[in-house]
Parts: sequence; structure tokens; C-alpha cells
Amino acid sequence: MWWGAIREPETVAVVQPSGAGLDPDSREWLRALRADGAERDEAIARLHGLLLRGARFEVARRKPTLPHLRGNELDDIALEAADDALVSVLARLDDFRGLSRFTTWAYKFALFEAAVKLRRRAWQGREIPLEPETWTVLAGTELEPDAQAEQSELLAAVQRLIQEALTPHQRRVLTALALNGVPIDVLADRLSTTRGALYKTLHDARRKLRRHLTESGFALDTWPEEVTDGPPRP
Amino acid sequence: MDHRDPDHVLGRLLGPAGPEVGCDECFEELDRYVELELAGADADAACPGLRAHLAGCPACREDYESLRSLIQP
Repeated sequence: MWWGAIREPETVAVVQPSGAGLDPDSREWLRALRADGAERDEAIARLHGLLLRGARFEVARRKPTLPHLRGNELDDIALEAADDALVSVLARLDDFRGLSRFTTWAYKFALFEAAVKLRRRAWQGREIPLEPETWTVLAGTELEPDAQAEQSELLAAVQRLIQEALTPHQRRVLTALALNGVPIDVLADRLSTTRGALYKTLHDARRKLRRHLTESGFALDTWPEEVTDGPPRP
Repeated sequence: MDHRDPDHVLGRLLGPAGPEVGCDECFEELDRYVELELAGADADAACPGLRAHLAGCPACREDYESLRSLIQP
């Protein structure tokens, strides 16, 4: 957990993290994957099939946003994602705590690998916009009369603070991720860093903006917290 | 939702107000969170800060939506 404000309760769990508390199916997966010889090989093949199903599910979900990719390219991406997920799952088998079903735990690796590969492919060869393209768009936006003054004032303050209060790195990351819709893994690749490190930078920038805005008298406590769908996919 | 809507842009710029986990911890907890949610349990109490992160991180939000769609009955 970041920033120490909350701690995870110890009493809520689906099953106990010890092997004894695993559901039978998860226990069987672990046993077979830790076995020797043909039994382990067979379990790994089954696991790869499971991961491939997950990767294909993700590819199918995103297919409408990737019209330039052909079917065989998408199949290749799904297979690569399943292969990489298999390596990750086998390497982290001892990290499985039994707090979910083993299959759910494994699926998330396949979905993650597929999503990252598809986002990277979508941005392959594209320039990363680091200047705030959205400001010019907003300038032409017609706001509701009641909200116009408040929003305009807030937007102007945010624009000023981005220039004056943020570090150059924070400004670049915030602009790319929050204004221009660059996927975080794509930006992490281009900047040779990690998704976690970039999000920490984004978080710090957001906190700094909020603090300055609050000090300037803006009432952000009523600001809608959940802007859940994020920037559009490319 | 219009991604150029000023409310939406400000939401993306300012992010969630409350404490949140990072991307790495989100990934660690995601399978547990989704299963608890689908079981009707209090996933937010079990994984504090995760919901706020999903609100602030589009990539993790996509991972969450995919996992939930994949495993829900």
C-alpha cells in the first residue's frame, strides 16, 4: 500500500493462505505442477491451454479497437501472451496464496500479457504526444452556463499549476497519460521505466495539483472521484 | 462518456481523492478482489485502496474489467 493511510484487514479472505485451506481444484493444480515427469508436463500443457483461453478472450475483447491487425496477427499475439504468462505463472507458483481460485490467479497473468502486447502494438511507430493536445480541444467546448465559470476557473488554475508546480518529469507523465491518453505501459517502454514507477509519478503530480488547488480555495472534496473509463483506446 | 468533456478531463488530471494502492499491488490483489466482488462480499474492505486505484488507472481498470468478464458465471 502506498502512503500508509490504510492497512489491509487480516480477517477477510476467501480461503486461508496455507495449502490446507486451498479449494480442491487449486490444490490439485499446485500438486500436478509440482510433480515430476509426465504428470508435470501434462499439467503445464493444461495450464498453457487455460492461459491461451484467457489471452484469446482479451484479444477478442479488444479486436474492435484494432481494425488494422489481421486475424493471424491477433492469434500470434494471443499465443505469445499465453507463452509469457506461462513463464510468469510457473516462476511465481510459490507466490500463490490461495486467496482466490488458482485459475483466476493464473488468468490475470494471461489477460495482463495480452493487454500489454495489444496496447504496445496499437502504438507501434506512433509518436508519444507529450504536449497537452486536449487544451485546444477544451477551448472550443461549450460548457453548461452554470458550470462554465467554475469549470473554466478550475481548468485555468490546473493549466497554470501544471506549468508552475510540477517537475518537468511529472508534467510530461501527467500530460501523456491523463491528457493525451497514452497507455501507461507504452509510456513506460518509451521512458525505459516501469508501469508502477510511472503511476507513482502520476499520483504524486495529482496530489500536488490537488494540494495547490485546495490551498487556492477550490472545493475539491465534492469533485467526482470516479472517472473510471479513462482515456480512449487508440 | 465524452473524453473531452471538461469534467472528465479534470477527473483524469486530478485522479481519485482517497488513498490508493499502486499498480503492482493492484495486480497482486486483483484476482481476490474480483472473486470477492462476484461472490457479493465486501471486496473494498478486503482490499482497501484498490477501488480508488481502478478509478485512477485506466490500464488496471481494463485488467479488472477483463478478469471480471472472463470469470463471471
